[in-house]
Amino acid sequence: MNGRRLAFALALAALAAPFVLEGNRFLAFVFGIVMINLLWASGMNLLYGFVGLMPLMFAGIAGIAAYAMVALTREAGWSFWLATPVAAVGAALVGVLLGLPSLRLKGFYFTLCSLVIQTVLTLAFTFFPRFTNGDTGLNQIAPPDGWGGVPLAGVWFDATLALVATLGVLLSAWIVQTRLGQRFIAIREDDVLAEVMGIDVVRNRIIAFAIVSIYAAVGGCFYASYVGFVSPRSFDVLTSLGIWLCVAFGGRGTIIGPIIGTVILAPIPYLLQELQAFKDVLSGVLIIVVTLVMPAGIYGEIMRRRALRTAVALRAQAAGDPAGATATPAVAAMPGTVDAGVAR
Amino acid sequence: MSLLEVKGISKHFGGVAALRNVDVQMTSGETLGMIGPNGSGKTTFVNIVTGHLVPDSGQLLFNEGSIAGTAPHRLAALGLTRTYQAVRVFGGLSVGKNIEAAMLLGLPGAPESAERNELVHWLRLDHRLASLAGSLTLFEQRRLELLMRLLQRPQLIMLDEPVGGLAVTEVREMIALLHELKARCSIFVIEHTMRVIRELADRVVVLMAGEKIADGPPADILRDRRVVEQYLGTTHA
Repeated sequence: MNGRRLAFALALAALAAPFVLEGNRFLAFVFGIVMINLLWASGMNLLYGFVGLMPLMFAGIAGIAAYAMVALTREAGWSFWLATPVAAVGAALVGVLLGLPSLRLKGFYFTLCSLVIQTVLTLAFTFFPRFTNGDTGLNQIAPPDGWGGVPLAGVWFDATLALVATLGVLLSAWIVQTRLGQRFIAIREDDVLAEVMGIDVVRNRIIAFAIVSIYAAVGGCFYASYVGFVSPRSFDVLTSLGIWLCVAFGGRGTIIGPIIGTVILAPIPYLLQELQAFKDVLSGVLIIVVTLVMPAGIYGEIMRRRALRTAVALRAQAAGDPAGATATPAVAAMPGTVDAGVAR
Repeated sequence: MSLLEVKGISKHFGGVAALRNVDVQMTSGETLGMIGPNGSGKTTFVNIVTGHLVPDSGQLLFNEGSIAGTAPHRLAALGLTRTYQAVRVFGGLSVGKNIEAAMLLGLPGAPESAERNELVHWLRLDHRLASLAGSLTLFEQRRLELLMRLLQRPQLIMLDEPVGGLAVTEVREMIALLHELKARCSIFVIEHTMRVIRELADRVVVLMAGEKIADGPPADILRDRRVVEQYLGTTHA
C-alpha cells in the first residue's frame, strides 16, 4: 500500500472510530485520550525523530498552555477557540526559550538539561498556585463551545480530537518532506557537517522548538478541556516520558512509527487502571526493551528486516548471475539504518 | 586578486599558544599547501578561517571582505568551505540524500541536474547513489565529501589531510582527482604526505609550534634546512 493511500485509510479510520465507539462511553474516552497522545507524539517525533533532540520538558510546555487556556477562558471569559491559539503562540515562545540550551548541548546532555527544566516547571505548577491551584489541581474545566453555543461533548468532541490529531500527523508528514524537514534531518545526522553545508543550525533548531511547542500546547489545551481536570501530575516528567515512549517504541523518525506506538501504548494506563503499580513497572520495562532490543522501534525493526531480506535476495541473485556480481553493496549498510544519529 | 588574506592571527587555548601571529595570503586559482608536525596549529588555522573558532587577534579577509566571527553556514554561502581530518558525511543517509542535503543551501546558480550528474560521474559515485553513505569505503566517502562541497560552488575549499588513511593506489587516484579539482576552485590543503604537497601545491606554508617558519614554492621548502631538520627528517629530502 502506498503512503498516500495508507494515510487516507488511517485518517478515515480515526474519524469513523468515535461513531463506532459511541455506545461505549469508556472506550470512546480512551480513544479521545489516544488521539491527544497521537498529536503529542507526532510533535515529539519532529524533534526527537527528525532533529535528534529528546525534550523531556514537553509535558511542561503542554501544562503551561493548558493553565493559560483555563485562565483565559475562566478569568477573561475568552472562548476556548481563541484561548487555545493564543496559549499555543505563548507556549511556542516559551518553548523556544526553553530550547535555547540545545544550541550548546546535544544528545544526552540536552536531555539531562530538559529533565531539569521539566522538574522546575512541575515545581512551579505546584508552588505558584495563582493559576494552577497547586497540587489540588483545577477541576470542572469547561469543554470548548461547539456549533450554536452548545458545549462540545460526547461523540462530537471525540471526532474533533480525531480531526485535530489527523491534521497534526499530516502536518508533520508534510513538514519532514519540505526543505525545512530535510534540514532537520541533516542536523540530526551531523550538526557540524550541516553547518558547513550552509544550514543555519541555530535558526533551524529554534524553528523546530517553536513548531513542537505548538504541538505540545494544542494537545495540552484539548487535554484539559477533554478530561476536565488538570494538576501538576498531569504534566510531569512521566507524561513526557510516556509520549517519548510512544515515539521510540513505534519507530522514531518515521511518520507511521509514532502512530503504531501511540495506538499500542497510550490506552494502557486507562485499561490497566486497577493495576496502578503494574502500569508503571510495565512502562519501565518497555523503556528498557526499546533501548536494548529495538533501538529503532517496531516500525524501524520491520524496515530493517525488510531491507536485510532485499539485500540477501539481491546477493543470491548476484551469486547466480556472475555478471551482476556488483549488486551486493547494500548488505553491510543495513544494521543501524535508523539507529544512527538520534541518541547521540 | 587576493582570495584569502590572514593577517597576524593568534589563538591561545588556556596557556598554550596554538597560533602566534600567523600571516597567510592566497590568490585566486592558487593551490596552497600547509605542512607542519602534529600540534603545530594547522587544524586550528583551518578552524579559525572557516568560522569554527574565533581568533584572539588578527584579521581575516575573504575576497577582501572581513569574515572574522562569521558563522560557517554563511561562509558556505560566500564560497568558503572545508573538509575534516576524520571523514564526515551523513552516514545514516543514502548517498543520494547526502547530495540533496548539500543542495539545501539553495544558492542561485546551483548546479542543474546535468552538471550534478557530471560531478557524480567524475567522482565515480554513480553506482553508489542508493547505498548508505556510512557503508562506503573511506575513499568513496572522501569523494562524496568533495562532491557535496562542489555542489555548493565553493571558491576556496580547505582540505584537512585529504589522503589520510587511504591506500597507496588510492592516494595516487586522489592526487589525480585533486589535480582536476584545481580547475574548479582554489585549494588549501593540509597534508603529511609530501607527495601530495610536491605534486599539487603551488606554494607551501610551514607551521612549527604555532608559528610560520617558511613560505614558498614546494621545491625550495622541501630543501629548507630548518624544515628538513625539524619536521621531515633526512629520509625525505
